[in-house]
Amino acid sequence: MRFIAFFIIALLSALPAFALDGQQLLKQIDRNLNPESYESYRKLINIEPDGTRKEFTLYTIKKGTDKVASLFLAPASDKGRSTLRLGDNLWLNIPNVGKPVRITSLQSVVGGVFNNADILQLDYDAEYRVEKVEDKGEDYLLHLKAKNKSVAYDRVRILADKARKLPSRIECLTEAGMLIKTLYFKDIKNFGGINRPATVETDSPLYKGYKSVMLYAKLKKRSFRDEVFTLNAMTSLDSLR
Amino acid sequence: MLRLFIIAVLLTFAAPLLAAEFSFDDAEVEKKIWHLGGYVEARPGLNLLDRDAAQTRLRYYGRHVDDNLPDFNGKLLLEGSLEKDWAKLFLQPSLDYTATRLNSYLRLTWYEAWLQAKPDDSFRFLLGKRSLRWGKGYAWNPVAFFDRPKNPDDPELSLEGYWLATADFIQSFDGPLKTLAVTPLLLPQDHDLNRDFGNGDQINWGGKLYFLLYDTDIDLIMMGRGSRNAGYGLDFSRNLTTNFELHGELAWLVNSTRPVVTSNGQPSLTRGDSISWLLGLRYLTEQDTTWIAEYYRNGNGYYSNEMNTYFQQVERAWATWQQNGNAAQLQRLGQAQSYGRTAAMRDYLYIRVSQKEPFDILYFTPALTTIANLQDASFSVTPELLYTGITNLELRLKGTAVLGAPRSEYGEKQNDARIELRVRYFF
Repeated sequence: MRFIAFFIIALLSALPAFALDGQQLLKQIDRNLNPESYESYRKLINIEPDGTRKEFTLYTIKKGTDKVASLFLAPASDKGRSTLRLGDNLWLNIPNVGKPVRITSLQSVVGGVFNNADILQLDYDAEYRVEKVEDKGEDYLLHLKAKNKSVAYDRVRILADKARKLPSRIECLTEAGMLIKTLYFKDIKNFGGINRPATVETDSPLYKGYKSVMLYAKLKKRSFRDEVFTLNAMTSLDSLR
Repeated sequence: MLRLFIIAVLLTFAAPLLAAEFSFDDAEVEKKIWHLGGYVEARPGLNLLDRDAAQTRLRYYGRHVDDNLPDFNGKLLLEGSLEKDWAKLFLQPSLDYTATRLNSYLRLTWYEAWLQAKPDDSFRFLLGKRSLRWGKGYAWNPVAFFDRPKNPDDPELSLEGYWLATADFIQSFDGPLKTLAVTPLLLPQDHDLNRDFGNGDQINWGGKLYFLLYDTDIDLIMMGRGSRNAGYGLDFSRNLTTNFELHGELAWLVNSTRPVVTSNGQPSLTRGDSISWLLGLRYLTEQDTTWIAEYYRNGNGYYSNEMNTYFQQVERAWATWQQNGNAAQLQRLGQAQSYGRTAAMRDYLYIRVSQKEPFDILYFTPALTTIANLQDASFSVTPELLYTGITNLELRLKGTAVLGAPRSEYGEKQNDARIELRVRYFF
């Protein structure tokens, strides 16, 4: 009898884990990181092994699951550059060069460890399917697989805090399971009711000794018209600030 | 005890430093209604002249030049803007200084000067001088009917615009057609305004229809008959995979004219429809090497026999001048500038290979570019080293070797080689 009771209790306690919908959890993590439609300012800092730094400041807007655009505000050599992502399509517009040119998610318009996919990140739920969720005590470990070949990383592992449903570490891997980079989420701050990490650090075994940091400021919900996310509007992003 | 004290002191002083290791204040991103920026550039260069080349003879006959001709180029490009609500004023003057042993000059050019009204995210109107840069090609843009031609040796240089009025109507949709944009334009031309656009004191008109359809950028472009004859264009660009982009352009010029030097040395004009096109790709390898390749068919370019005739005429004119000092024919041929322009003939191949940050050197990009004339097998090779690691400073060392047989396009260029350093500081 005691054995049956123990078995039932064990089953009941395991139910939440079995009932856990990985994709739904991923959606929650996405929403906790960013509102569905928002604007933000970011500073990217590339740090070389000798401590040399280079900083970039960006204004970023996002709408829904497939639209994101960024405008470089600093340094002066990059001011006015803008990037646009519509689903799998990415463009870079350099002032004076004029027309937007198509770029790929694996490239980096700023150099360093962050690539275009990190800078123009869509919702993880839009690009990845959750294969498995592991219970790691205070954290969940989500194993993600890309929905198609057009994304930068074929596999992603997200270590997320159970209570906050926010990532503390994200590992980006190739199809063969080789680690490309690790993102570390730190310094949770309140952005007008949105509690999320204000600092994202990254390093990569491919760039030994190098580190890149992304700082967030003035992140807030904001709605935009779809026409803002078009090639013709790339030169006018500054007017939205 | 002393050790504890030192650690405590170090921690006291280090704590604020650690906290300030990464800082981002809201004040850093405050928007001002005005902006002033630009860059200053120094570009010294050394040309190794080919004294026997047609372009050298036409340019330097009667003047003493050495085999090595250094030059110095300086540039101050300013950008100023004023933006308030839906209106924006943008000004971009450029002050250029060039000096060689033979001459020097200082020139002010307004690349752009325009006023834009944007009452709505889906509509904007622009009046003023603007470089449009239509087309998808990197080295050439045959569909850029309303732009000055760019230099394939340095396709990212700023271009002087034309005075025009244009508007954008943009609509986004769900479904295969994601974006539709209509861009009509008017470009007046007379002896004061847009003087080099053509002849005829006309108000030229044209426009562009842009579609993002099935993840492909497509432009349909038109130029009405005015100061120039009518033209129709199509371009496209698409990422086939995450690291492979394909693009192309097709331009049909109706009844276009071409100045030709005849076998008796006289200038003549030929007329006829011309179709120019290009097909290109951009490919990024796993090692971060970017390949850009373009094939360009210049429908309005010279055939091999026409170019050969021209070079023969230059040789004869040169011989005449050496015999009796009569430079009249050299002067006449020197005015036929269409023979000396870049991509003057029919078939070209452009290949550029660049490697991002080799040997883990951040912001360092070496590149190698070649432009080949497929008709006469002459070509140029341009190695380049670019470093942007110092904030707002860009350093570029670039060399060009020009190779080709006598009476080939590149074989008759002014230089056998050129090396230049470009130091550009942005502010």
